[in-house]
Amino acid sequence: MRRFDTVISAFIPAFAALALVSCNKNPGPPPNATQTYGQVAGGPHAVPPVAAAPADDGNWTMPGKNFASTRFSGLNQITPANVKTMSIAFTFSTGTTKGFEAPPLVVNGTMYIITPFPNNLFALDLTKPGAPTKWVFKPKPAAASQGVACCDVVNRGAVYDAGKIFFNTLDGQTFAVDADSGRMVWRTQLGDIQNGETITMAPLVAEGKVLVGNSGGEMGVRGWIAALDEGSGKIAWKAYNTGPDKDVLIGPDFHPFYAMDRGTDLGVKSWPPDAWKIGGGNVWGWISYDPELHMIYYGSGNPGPWNPDQRPGDNKWTTGVFARDVATGKARWFYQTTPHDLFDHDDINEIILADIPWNGGRRPVMLRPARDGFFYVIDRRTGEVLSATPYGYVNAYKGVDLRTGRIVPNPEKAPKVGRVVRDICPASPGAKDWNPAAFSPVTGLVYIPHNNLCMDFGAMEANYISGTPYVGSDVKMYAGPGGNRGVFTAWDPVNRRKVWEIKEDLPLWSPALATAGGLVFYGTMDGWFKAVDARTGKQLWQFKAGSGIIGQPISYRGPDGRQYVAVVAGVGGWAGAVVSAQMDTRDPTGALGFANAMKDLPLKTTAGGMLYVFTVRR
Amino acid sequence: MSLRRPLAAALVPLLLAGCSYQHYQSDFGGGAVEDRQFLTLFWIFMAVCAVMYVLVIGFMVLAILRRGRVSDANVVETGRHHRSHPLMRSTLIGWTALIGVGLAGLAIASFIADRSMAKAATGEKLSVTVTGKQWWWDIVYNSADASKTLRTANELHLPVGVPTRILLNSSDVIHSFWVPSLGGKQDLIPGRDNDITIVPTKTGIYRGQCAEYCGTQHAHMALVVVVESYPDFLKWWQHQLQPAVAPASPEALAGYRYVTSGPCSACHAIGGTPASAQVAPDLTHLASRKSLAAGTLPMSKGNLYGWIADPQSLKPGNKMPTIGLEPDQLHAVVAYLETLK
Amino acid sequence: MSSPFGASLLLLGAAALTLSACDREEHHSRGKPIGETVPAGSSPQTIFPGSSLPPAPDMRAKLYDNNANAISRGQQLYTWMNCVGCHSHGGGGMGPPLMDDQWRYGSGIAQIATTIAEGRPNGMPAWRGKLTEDQIWSLAAYVRSMSGLPSKDAVSSRSESMSGPTPQTLTPHPDTTNSDAVPQ
Repeated sequence: MRRFDTVISAFIPAFAALALVSCNKNPGPPPNATQTYGQVAGGPHAVPPVAAAPADDGNWTMPGKNFASTRFSGLNQITPANVKTMSIAFTFSTGTTKGFEAPPLVVNGTMYIITPFPNNLFALDLTKPGAPTKWVFKPKPAAASQGVACCDVVNRGAVYDAGKIFFNTLDGQTFAVDADSGRMVWRTQLGDIQNGETITMAPLVAEGKVLVGNSGGEMGVRGWIAALDEGSGKIAWKAYNTGPDKDVLIGPDFHPFYAMDRGTDLGVKSWPPDAWKIGGGNVWGWISYDPELHMIYYGSGNPGPWNPDQRPGDNKWTTGVFARDVATGKARWFYQTTPHDLFDHDDINEIILADIPWNGGRRPVMLRPARDGFFYVIDRRTGEVLSATPYGYVNAYKGVDLRTGRIVPNPEKAPKVGRVVRDICPASPGAKDWNPAAFSPVTGLVYIPHNNLCMDFGAMEANYISGTPYVGSDVKMYAGPGGNRGVFTAWDPVNRRKVWEIKEDLPLWSPALATAGGLVFYGTMDGWFKAVDARTGKQLWQFKAGSGIIGQPISYRGPDGRQYVAVVAGVGGWAGAVVSAQMDTRDPTGALGFANAMKDLPLKTTAGGMLYVFTVRR
Repeated sequence: MSLRRPLAAALVPLLLAGCSYQHYQSDFGGGAVEDRQFLTLFWIFMAVCAVMYVLVIGFMVLAILRRGRVSDANVVETGRHHRSHPLMRSTLIGWTALIGVGLAGLAIASFIADRSMAKAATGEKLSVTVTGKQWWWDIVYNSADASKTLRTANELHLPVGVPTRILLNSSDVIHSFWVPSLGGKQDLIPGRDNDITIVPTKTGIYRGQCAEYCGTQHAHMALVVVVESYPDFLKWWQHQLQPAVAPASPEALAGYRYVTSGPCSACHAIGGTPASAQVAPDLTHLASRKSLAAGTLPMSKGNLYGWIADPQSLKPGNKMPTIGLEPDQLHAVVAYLETLK
Repeated sequence: MSSPFGASLLLLGAAALTLSACDREEHHSRGKPIGETVPAGSSPQTIFPGSSLPPAPDMRAKLYDNNANAISRGQQLYTWMNCVGCHSHGGGGMGPPLMDDQWRYGSGIAQIATTIAEGRPNGMPAWRGKLTEDQIWSLAAYVRSMSGLPSKDAVSSRSESMSGPTPQTLTPHPDTTNSDAVPQ
């Protein structure tokens, strides 16, 4: 008995140590301290091209702020010195409770807000106190379109051009509304919900063409991008992202940089027979435009179904970035970021146009924090990848072979039918999903709000029935290494490294805003709207909104000459579906796997749709 | 003389096994390299065991005939084994040696046969993925050129003389791939990648079936394997890749409309049409197959009618529901399916 | 009582017990042709104005509700017909969750069958003409099982999917009395 006691008491410290060690295996998220990795580099840094990013006129006419998609405001009244006194100027309730991803637009004293389904368009008069409503335009889209929208019934924004507001509705229509009167100028039906097609993206207007793309990569919808004539709404051209070359508008002007993207009718040959017709490759994200090269750039979404064994081949032209001539739609070059995509790593993320210092001169490139976890710097004239550096934790890929341009997947993490492959990082929302980063020409840094998520992926056979999901997987996501699900990174694209980062408990699903005043703004999914110093990342101000923030913040000059910062708070989207769709979190596979990672969200925030406008009062 | 008739009766099945008309589903078919290796081993075992059997029976008969003789009774009673009869001792030693040699020989033969079967499993030129589903076979011919991937069902075509590696998987429960004339059994286990390599040597039509109980209709889960020359095989593959023929007659057109918009397209795929569902057999070239419903019925117009009208009565419990078509719908659907050659 | 008599009594009792279990396992793979004489959409909480009587319950309810074979067939159809793509394994996503106790259109098996057959305004597709009546009612039986409504000896003890919530034999029966309980 004595000996037994001695033995046990000898082991107690060991057991305790073991228990304590295992306790710390997944520490809770650290306090929101900024982790600094270096200083902002001196010397020449990246700047946006002048033609695509003109000087700020105080308005915000398109979600990306300009054609280069910098999301940078040239206003500098609000600075790190005075932002701590920033307070509410006015608020506005949109009446919706679904995920709010769109930015408000401000054009010469009027603010325009496009809501998620039912996609109402509000015009607020900023010249009057309290910003009363001037008019409301209600497109009344088909209610059944809510049943074929994969990731909440969001809308990513409207755009203003030449006196009209252009926006898309969930049931596949594009509207042009007169910006003064709120009367409809034209509307065009582009998508068919019977096929599972919806439209959630914000259009881009360039050279008199309204550029629109469809959604539906989870519904077996064939992806396309179309250009509508700005005045009449008639389709000028339409290019598909799968299928024969004549549908993809590939002709003699098409010069992809890498051999893997060269060939005829690759949009058919790299699929099993007929699979390209239900193959995905949708354009539900961002388009940028270079006025000097007359080219538009956009990425294509995931191939369908998620189960890769049902679609052997490279699955062109999905998960890649296209450069097209804006007047005719003809493809100029293409780079496939993830051939034969394995993890739903859509390539629709924003394309920030920049000119970077290169060998003594400057090189016109695009900066892309992509879903697969790599930050790409690609020459926007030719499609040559200059660098691909991981900006988050990646174990699903071994790297990008810059000689062939081909990403090298990790075979251990490839999905297998009938089995669950565990610990795949980044998870399917990627190191960063749709929410765009901001780029400051003052600091030369790209401010990336993104995720730190890994997943278990169980592939199974998907059945195609048009109008229903075509996925073929059970997914469970969870926090990546470190235990924090989100992270805000300041990235130096020239030196290819992090300068500072802020770990966040919840994934960051809101875009970022950078200002000339030296601040960066972003929102968290539990409703904190934060201002941090653009150079050091130190948090200077925060405000708790009524609902989680997944929408784009903007900054504009009001009629009174003051600088305002505005954002709409309404949690939802794919990450927030747990709240906006009132899901049951006992099922970890809900919302394509996000339910497992967001079980605590219903306690941290509730649904809403409120506009908050802030300013600094002297 | 009283033994002659039972002996003859014992030998007749052996003789019948060599009959050619049973080769289409017979372990003795010898249609492939693996099967021939197996057969060689079988005959070796048969010979050795037959010899042993004859010897054992012979000794037993001898013992029965010599019963009652008292010559060696002392040995048993006294228990002094070391003074056993020299003939008995050498017989026992010789018998043990014979068994030892025999078993060693069988083991070596078995090892050689196993190793040569495994060697045939390398260097495959053709790769086919067979997924077992209740109660049919989903067959995909893999190709380095993705657009030549062929999906078909229940009928496997193999080129003669070409090593074919068949990857085996299952969507639901454990099945077993067994074409007796071509090779042995290999299970299809959900979540596991198994494979079997077959090198067919004789052209012809063979029948296989599921060899692991997999549910109500396990008995009706047969597989037709057609072994043909390599050029014929390529022609068949090329033909099967073609999308379905557009319907010509008005009745076939009505059938096409029903099939692609009605319940059929919730589960079946027909290449070149909007029907792209994948949980049921691919019907693009249904009428070119030799059997219906995984070998349940031979392919014919009448059987098509019967199957479409009421699959539950022919294969009760299978996953295809009885829809209860109107007569004109049934005529139209069968007219269309018959064009899918 | 003599031993053989007692033994045969025991045997008779055992036989009776085993035979009584047969009803639950009735396999009707073809579906019985019962006429559509009963409106399927009403619930115990539907208002029938002017003291009118509620209609008799649908006869198919008895055949499919609590029938293990129907629930099992429904389980396979749930994945095949992509219900899992919108509703996950009960947690919801594009569609509302099916494992909670909030039913906008009612939780009775006839109401769920109506929902599946006719669709619903906010995006539930209409499967009439795409699925047979037997398939629709089997699916309705399975959908009910996700929230713990049928008896525990009829539901599937294995989810047959690689990831998902706890097995339905462990899902508690909801304590909401209102079968039309609606969120917000």
